[in-house]
Amino acid sequence: MKTNNKKAWLYLLPTIIFVSLFSIFPILRALGMSFQSGPLINLQWTGVSNYQYIFTDPEFWRALKNTLLYAVIAVPSALVISIFLAWSIFSKIRHQSFFETMFFMPYVTSTIAIGIVFRYIFNGDYGMLNFLLRLIHFPAPNWLDDPSMNMTTLILFGIWTSLAFNIVILMGALRNIDPNYYTLADMYGASGNEKFWRITMPQLVPTIAFLLTMNIIGAFKIYTEVYALFNGQAGIGNSATTAVYYIYNKFQMVGTPGVAMAATVVLFLIILVVTFLQRKMMKRIGR
Amino acid sequence: MKKINFGLLLVYLFVGIFAIITVFPFIYMILGGLMSFQETTTIPPTFFPHHLQWGNYGKVFAEAPFAKYFLNTLITASVTTIVSLFNSILGAFALTNLRFKGKAVVKVIMLSLLMVPGEAIIFTNYNTIARMGLLNTYIGLVLPFLTSIFYMYYLMTYFGAISPTIYKAAMIDGASDWEYVWRILVPMSKGGLFTVGLLSFISGWNSFLWPLLVTNEDSMRLLNNGLSAFASDAGSETELQLAAATLTVLPILVIYFIFRKQIIRGVVRNDLKA
Repeated sequence: MKTNNKKAWLYLLPTIIFVSLFSIFPILRALGMSFQSGPLINLQWTGVSNYQYIFTDPEFWRALKNTLLYAVIAVPSALVISIFLAWSIFSKIRHQSFFETMFFMPYVTSTIAIGIVFRYIFNGDYGMLNFLLRLIHFPAPNWLDDPSMNMTTLILFGIWTSLAFNIVILMGALRNIDPNYYTLADMYGASGNEKFWRITMPQLVPTIAFLLTMNIIGAFKIYTEVYALFNGQAGIGNSATTAVYYIYNKFQMVGTPGVAMAATVVLFLIILVVTFLQRKMMKRIGR
Repeated sequence: MKKINFGLLLVYLFVGIFAIITVFPFIYMILGGLMSFQETTTIPPTFFPHHLQWGNYGKVFAEAPFAKYFLNTLITASVTTIVSLFNSILGAFALTNLRFKGKAVVKVIMLSLLMVPGEAIIFTNYNTIARMGLLNTYIGLVLPFLTSIFYMYYLMTYFGAISPTIYKAAMIDGASDWEYVWRILVPMSKGGLFTVGLLSFISGWNSFLWPLLVTNEDSMRLLNNGLSAFASDAGSETELQLAAATLTVLPILVIYFIFRKQIIRGVVRNDLKA
């Protein structure tokens, strides 16, 4: 066997070309542009002014605050619901694959199309949700047109969309738990609760940590969900704006690509830190 | 007499409620797309349309070029899938079976690039495509996605599972690397390749932000962009919006129901390894 097979580069060539052009170059370019101002065709070096701009821009802070809100409320809620659902399906229900197939549907379907259905269900006047709420004498808020409700609506939609992935990954992890643990626990007369907290949960910790970080990273990338839910806007008066929305707006609408790229670099760094923390956490759990 | 197990009942109730919450929007979408305008806006809401309004679909096709959107989406999703799969096969083969100087460096660079969020490079890529004069073209729509490090790594787990002795034996028998890839590696990893192809096609079908950036002509729009534009234009015609949404989702749902096992297994597999 050759130890230095130069032909390998030939096989890697297409990948290397595309990756250099559309992954490596854009990162460097984004970094460069974040220190430049002006329109795309006439960029001038202006140092850190873009960074100063975004950090004093209340709109940028709102985007980060919304992301944080989403990460703190939607992500854990969806995860808790998913754990309970996955465990129930796994341990108590006979038609496992049927339920798995059903719960996974939102993952493969277009967010835009589903967003249209949710706009209809959330409609303040004739929506199904408010009809049901009124039926049980609950307040029926204006989900879509009231700026103070927009984040709540987004979070509810976000929980709905993220259950699919969580459940399927958790089901996979549950199937990987050695059934002997349960057999043994049964022999010692452990209750269902004991089995869940003493065996299942500890075995699920790495998966939960993985899902938690994946979902938090996902929270920083939210765009399509907002677009779909508020028909192309970031909620009423930008009340549900997100980081990617902010970037898109500054890049495409306002025409300040430098500012957009500064925000991109910040977003990228945040995601990198989260990923790094995940690696560390996984290593610690692995030990 | 057997005691009713309230705990179990509660579990069934919980799973049942969430199953309904998950599936309801899909059913409501399909039914809503067949209602008349009055039925979509009545209080209490209509659930089953009185007469199935198949005409809604005719109106959707008449008001927006959905047939063209379908074609565009089919072309871009297929091309992206086939070419990126081809490139990933070659790359994954080189990184699995061949020994060469610099392999470790290539692997490290690729692995770190896996962590780069697509949203961080999509805008500068738009800039590149615009400069190449490729806005509103099929090439512009697919170019940045013709290779996927993610799928390359995914395939490496499949290729790595094939014993290296098979590669050695093929070499001794005088097969070239190229023959090994297409005669042995690919047929032996058919399942994995098929799954990767499915996942890639689905994500191509559902892509939104990239086509939104690089197309502004109606004739070049993909389904999801066409759909969201249609939803804004159709304004209050909820039944048409829902019919259009059904059109967008249905092909993928059909593929999903046929290949649900492969798709779910594929998603679980590539994420447990991460």
